[in-house]
Amino acid sequence: MTTTLLPATRTVAAEARAVVKTYGKAETEVRALDGADVRIDRGRFTAIMGPSGSGKSTLMHVLAGLDTVDSGQVRIGDTELTSLTEDQRTLLRRERIGFVFQSFNLVPSLTAGENIALPLTLARRRPDPAWTDRVLETVGIAGRLGHRPSELSGGQQQRVAVARALVARPEIVFADEPTGNLDSRTGDAVLGLLRHATGELGQTVVMVTHDPAAAAHADRVVFLVDGRVVDELDDPTSAAVHAATARLGAGKE
Amino acid sequence: MWHLTLAQARAHRARLALTLVAVVLGVTFVTGSLALTDTSQRLFEDQFRTATAGVDLTIRDSAAFDSAMGVEVERDPLPAGIVDTVRGVDGVADAAASAVGQGLLEVDGRPAVPAGPSVLSSWSPAPFGAFDVREGTEPTEDGDVVLDVATARTYGVSVGDRVTVRADRTGTLRVVGLAGFGTQDGLADSTVALVTLPTAQRLLGLGDEVTQVQVVAAEGVAPTDLQEAVGRRIGTAFDVATAQDTVSAGADAARSRLAMIRVMLLSMAGAALLVGGFLIANTFSIVVSQRSRELALLRAVGATARQLRTSVLGEALVLGAVGSAIGTVLGVAAGYGLRGVAASFGVALPDGGLVVAPRTLLVSLGVGVVVTVLSAVGPARRAARVAPVEALRESRTAAPSRRRVAAGAVAASVAVAAVGAALGGAGVALVAVGAVAVLVALVLLGPALAPSLARVVGRPLGAAGVTGRLARESAARAPRRTAATTTALAVGLALVAFMTILGQSVKASSAGTYQDVVSADLVVESARAEMLGGLSHDVHHAVEDVPEVAVVSRVRYGHWKDAGATSALTAVEPETLGEVASVDMVAGSIDALADGGVVVAADEAAERGVEVGDMLTMTFARTGDQDLEVVGLVDERDAQALATGYLVSMETYAEHFTEDVDASLLVALADGVSVADGERAVADALTGFPTAAVRDLAAVAQARAAAVDEILGLVTVLLLLAVAIALLGITNTLALSIVERTREIGLLRSVGTTRRQVAWMVRWEAVLVAVLAVVVGVALGAGLGAAGVRALSGSDPVAVSWPVGRLALLVLVATAAGLLAGALPARRASRIGVLAAVARR
Repeated sequence: MTTTLLPATRTVAAEARAVVKTYGKAETEVRALDGADVRIDRGRFTAIMGPSGSGKSTLMHVLAGLDTVDSGQVRIGDTELTSLTEDQRTLLRRERIGFVFQSFNLVPSLTAGENIALPLTLARRRPDPAWTDRVLETVGIAGRLGHRPSELSGGQQQRVAVARALVARPEIVFADEPTGNLDSRTGDAVLGLLRHATGELGQTVVMVTHDPAAAAHADRVVFLVDGRVVDELDDPTSAAVHAATARLGAGKE
Repeated sequence: MWHLTLAQARAHRARLALTLVAVVLGVTFVTGSLALTDTSQRLFEDQFRTATAGVDLTIRDSAAFDSAMGVEVERDPLPAGIVDTVRGVDGVADAAASAVGQGLLEVDGRPAVPAGPSVLSSWSPAPFGAFDVREGTEPTEDGDVVLDVATARTYGVSVGDRVTVRADRTGTLRVVGLAGFGTQDGLADSTVALVTLPTAQRLLGLGDEVTQVQVVAAEGVAPTDLQEAVGRRIGTAFDVATAQDTVSAGADAARSRLAMIRVMLLSMAGAALLVGGFLIANTFSIVVSQRSRELALLRAVGATARQLRTSVLGEALVLGAVGSAIGTVLGVAAGYGLRGVAASFGVALPDGGLVVAPRTLLVSLGVGVVVTVLSAVGPARRAARVAPVEALRESRTAAPSRRRVAAGAVAASVAVAAVGAALGGAGVALVAVGAVAVLVALVLLGPALAPSLARVVGRPLGAAGVTGRLARESAARAPRRTAATTTALAVGLALVAFMTILGQSVKASSAGTYQDVVSADLVVESARAEMLGGLSHDVHHAVEDVPEVAVVSRVRYGHWKDAGATSALTAVEPETLGEVASVDMVAGSIDALADGGVVVAADEAAERGVEVGDMLTMTFARTGDQDLEVVGLVDERDAQALATGYLVSMETYAEHFTEDVDASLLVALADGVSVADGERAVADALTGFPTAAVRDLAAVAQARAAAVDEILGLVTVLLLLAVAIALLGITNTLALSIVERTREIGLLRSVGTTRRQVAWMVRWEAVLVAVLAVVVGVALGAGLGAAGVRALSGSDPVAVSWPVGRLALLVLVATAAGLLAGALPARRASRIGVLAAVARR
């Protein structure tokens, strides 16, 4: 399963082209995305960075099929999302995409194990035991599967969320500020987990963050300002991300 | 997915608990009503079955129908010699004659008045009789009597005592034994006196005739074959019934007697379920909106809209099933309690083990589940509409859609038009249309109207300071929540107001009409609740003999059938009626009744398209189809005062009916006699007739009004159950909204609002919702009530009387109840800490 792809033959996992997305009407109109172009490479860990209001979360929602666009194209693999109905997008999310949110990731009335199995349950799919074991081993919460979310720490909850995102073996995992609510040590562990998912498990991961330290865990960083992609950085170091952030977001953050 | 549904239901059990109560109460009512009426039906059937056990055929005088409006018709007696004729038929093993009738029992000079009939019957040994002697001996001589064990126990009679039996004649008899009826100690709600055949014939005034002949078939002879053979021998003047026919005829009578009470109880159960439905819908709405982030998360990870809808409906299904199950169990227990309610409606139901038919269980469970699931359909659709991105941002409430408002406006126009038309004199059906349209309009427009209504009605709350203003805004800002809570309570209150206005108007109009038409000084009526009355000839004669009395005019009632439908008629004495009542004729004359024929109420005549001179075909139990000439048309309100729309003379009545009792005697006193003196004189003359009661006209009118009051009171009490469910709804809704507003309340606390202030804020909101509901409910109830009164009063409008006192009381009670309903949520709100505002969940 851990087929490592050569850089030269990288394929596109997802792509947004000239995407425009506005909220509100007339005077209160906000142009969240204003012609954004981005490519997500398969098997890599991509971070989307930008100051508040740069449209990074909207870009993620659009790429993940959570939200629609006003114009432009969005592709997951070979599937064009903009022509899909809400139900088709739901099925696409269920079959091909995993999510990790900043907070409120888990259904409070279900146990950790049930939360992890949720995407499979919803799709009435049988879990692959070998894969499930591997995911559980990776995230390291095997002993707490019977607990409810309220009985888990914030870090443990995010691990459960990562496991849920991975268990259905999606094409892409989207993570929205996954470390936003965690202290730096726990946050590092979760980022390590996502890193591990790309390296060892061959996952494609897209993470939205405003934290340069978190972005430094990625293979590639895409910078967004005012709804457009303004810069990219391959194999970033924490210092390089900081420098780029300072350059782009001067006076904004 | 089912697993998730169950997990949700478990996790929200506290929120759903009050909703469960609503389901339980409604279902309890349904089950109770069905179980009670089924039980009574079964007991009556058992009684008939026991009575005919061992007997294969029963021969009585023939009748066109067995019973009408739950009352078995009386039949002419048979010549005693028929027993020998029947014995001679091949296949008859044995035959016996018996005499059965009504005979009031008196113990120590006091009448024993059961809720049901006072039976006087000749003793028949087994297999003909169903009674068996438990103590003492059977009656063997003239003057012997055997009572049923239950009656003896109730009135403290033992073997050797003397009792009086009043039938056509009165006799003092010696108790020689006590008897049981099958496994029972007696007949339900009856007294039974068993005497020898000659004694029964003497007391019932039968001469040497009998009322029925019972036949036992020889071994191996089928009852139906024998029925034919006996019928051929004795001719068509007699009715030969198999035991099975007799049982089913009796059961039919019991069924129609029970139908009224069943419909009444079930419609009140319906009202409770309707209000409960609103409460359920409301709770689910709130739970769905509180869970919107969770639902959005589920949508994000791949749940389809359909899956979420199914999940919410599944939760409703679980709730409905659990609530219905509990309600059904409680309902069976409540069946006993409802027996008392039925007794107050004048329907005596026998005691005994409760019958829970599979139908009862199916209906109760089905109704509970269906109501719950239907109520959750709206919230389920809303759950399915939650967008996946909402998991990631704060949710906001959507304004009611334009389509919804438009549909609501249409419904409201229909309601106004229907009620307006009804007020203008259109039919009852339009009032029903109006009521349904009002309900639909209320549901659709509620969320759109709630904010402005809450602000207008809540204006005085400004006087309560900032807490009052906050309460008002809180109600106005959650239009869906406020609307649903208000609607539930308003529907309950509208029903109460509707019934109160209707009852009050009916009462005022019937009392008014009676006093307008009847001019008698005194009225003698049976003190017992008998449909046809029960005054014997002796009462009539005794009153006539009073020197202070100038005129006595008798009134009787009877049933007849018209193409299968049962109608009632009134028999009067045309020659004296004019002196005790002023009956307005539209055409013809009431005096013409003396030569036969029938006088018909103007509205009934118009409906049938008959005029004076036409023939009307009436079917009588005793004489079958008869053509009677219409000799006059009477004003319909005057006919109402005489109870029915068809008047015949006493002679015509005697021709077609075996029944020989008067319902009431209208008495005019001699000139110069005061009503008080006259009443005293008549009362003295009636001392020998314990069941005859004399009253002046005002007292009679008042008694009629009291009867309406009694039913009205009961209906109101039962409807208050629906109101109580709606109040539970306020408690539930507010308690749930507190959870939703934790951060808001925490914020208020952090800027210096005291616990007391927070508590009052919640209480004021509860009061506001209650007052809003009172305003809406009473307004709707009043409109529909007025329309209902107009529609029911036909061409001659009855004035609507407004029970202002009662309505004011309703307003006060509802407001106070609102305060009470807010107590629990207020406490909960005041406990929210300051930190809640800043802490994220």
